[in-house]
Amino acid sequence: MQKNNYAAVIVTLFFGFTSIFIALSFGAAPSKFIDVYHSLIGQGHDPFIERIIWQLRMPRTLLAFLAGSGLAIAGLILQTVTRNPLADPYLFGISSGASFGVVCFMTITGISAGISMSAAAFVGSLFTMLLLVFIAGRASRGQVETMLLAGVALSFLFSAFTSLLLYFSDPQAITAILFWTLGSFARAQWATLWLPALVILSCTAIMMSFRRQLNAMLLGDESAVTLGIPVQRFRLLMLILSSLITAVLVAMCGGIGFVGLMIPHIVRFFVSQGTPSGLMMTALAGGIFMVWVDVLSRILLTNQELPIGVITSAIGSIFFLSLLYFRKRES
Amino acid sequence: MQSPVVTQPPLLKVTELCWSVGNTTILQNIAFAIKPGQFVGLLGPNGAGKSSLLRCLYRYSKPGSGEVSFAGQNIWQLSADEYAKQVSVVLQETPSQFNLSLYDVVSLGLTPHKSLFSSTTKADKQIILQAIEQVGLSHHCKQSFDSLSGGEKQRALIARSIVQGPKLLIMDEPTSHLDIKYQIQLMELAKSLNVTVLASFHDLNLAASMCDELLVIKQGKLVATGTPEQVITEKMLSDVFGVCAEVSAHPQSEQLKKVIPRITYFYGYQGGSANAKK
Repeated sequence: MQKNNYAAVIVTLFFGFTSIFIALSFGAAPSKFIDVYHSLIGQGHDPFIERIIWQLRMPRTLLAFLAGSGLAIAGLILQTVTRNPLADPYLFGISSGASFGVVCFMTITGISAGISMSAAAFVGSLFTMLLLVFIAGRASRGQVETMLLAGVALSFLFSAFTSLLLYFSDPQAITAILFWTLGSFARAQWATLWLPALVILSCTAIMMSFRRQLNAMLLGDESAVTLGIPVQRFRLLMLILSSLITAVLVAMCGGIGFVGLMIPHIVRFFVSQGTPSGLMMTALAGGIFMVWVDVLSRILLTNQELPIGVITSAIGSIFFLSLLYFRKRES
Repeated sequence: MQSPVVTQPPLLKVTELCWSVGNTTILQNIAFAIKPGQFVGLLGPNGAGKSSLLRCLYRYSKPGSGEVSFAGQNIWQLSADEYAKQVSVVLQETPSQFNLSLYDVVSLGLTPHKSLFSSTTKADKQIILQAIEQVGLSHHCKQSFDSLSGGEKQRALIARSIVQGPKLLIMDEPTSHLDIKYQIQLMELAKSLNVTVLASFHDLNLAASMCDELLVIKQGKLVATGTPEQVITEKMLSDVFGVCAEVSAHPQSEQLKKVIPRITYFYGYQGGSANAKK
């Protein structure tokens, strides 16, 4: 049983590398697999293609992979600690917080481009996260319900403020804000890639080390207590981990819906999340999915990029509808 | 099982335990002790405070006053992990929707024993598989926990607590919703583990036949303790449970060399309670 799982992880890992490799060959500038191969080993014939692959596509594809794994892990954590299959990294208002941060920043400074926008988004989502942790930390009983309700309420609250500010600001701000609601990897660059990589890798490592405690939360709060877990504090820690991942990703590439919700469910069809390999598979599957979504967003329309969030939401909704359909037929 | 001469120090000792929610007192001045190796049953009508009492014992609720001590130490002075290594609990709560396999659920019993980055060793796997075999579920090992029947789920949770390696096993109505066959099977399984057990019961006859000692609570107060023979009386059944019944000796009493009380209930409460008495 265990050996099969590790074999599956290795196959998925291999598939992940191949996906990244193939993804590097797609784009507006024509390139073949052989060009990618040559660029990767440092023997590119065409410096133009080599620069496109190394400076544009590589950071972009890596960011897509990181974003996919990060969101899948954040979704898995939240679904597990709230025992709610519909929990999603954005359910707790983190992306509304980011949009609010950006709009505030634009209204106050008038700047509507550049890295400072990402910083504003990050501050906005961290602020939302702190509010939520504060509210959930005060709840003694029924922490899950408090978390879910407070999260949804915060989400609506920040959306309302954002809409209000947008209503009074210029149309240019509305185009800028669209980026944070739909998501894109166009801003990926080597110089800023370390931040999501660091946050996602360390949060995932912490989550993996707490995997027994995490899964024990599925047995219910009381049972988790009897296994020696300080349930309230543990849930806050997990909330902070998943929020950090989400906040960094929202700041770098905007809100990308459905991935965090969907990927953990798809992986659960095949592997139990009770094993370390199940958790690794979730991260890998999220990354691979996002790499391909990014490829689609680049090639579906010629000379134009589709927003990532549009594709994931479309695929996600179809996935859920078919899931409903097949579940119905089963029973 | 216990030596008759030397009085052993109690494994679990509860003194003057009170617990209340807001202004409502749920538990009042509860005091009892459980000796190592005993199988103790907790009885009481619905809402008497059985679950609340057990919650105070497995550290889910902190008592308002009074003390619970385990092997001579206040349980709130032990760390959560340390306590979980010695006391395991089987509850009614079950996981759902997240397709954990039976094996995964049982292996969660390792949680208090494992440090953060440690992996599951071969020896651990052996313990897990043995526990699954002990409860007779080896053939369901890879099956998802959700797909098991109610009785199998409870047995799986017992396997989890075997992996936890406890000195004391606490069970909160582990047999409600189960068919009578599985009720007996489950309780005999718990008895065969050779650990001290404290379990709350719904079925008084089952409790009478399984337990060495019984505790009866009514409206948050401990009203009777002792062997089943001492506790299960017609007067107690009428005072605490409000039923008319006759208590006789179970036919197996002689064979098992101990007196097992058997309760036969009388019916006809609608026409005034006096009618129920023969």
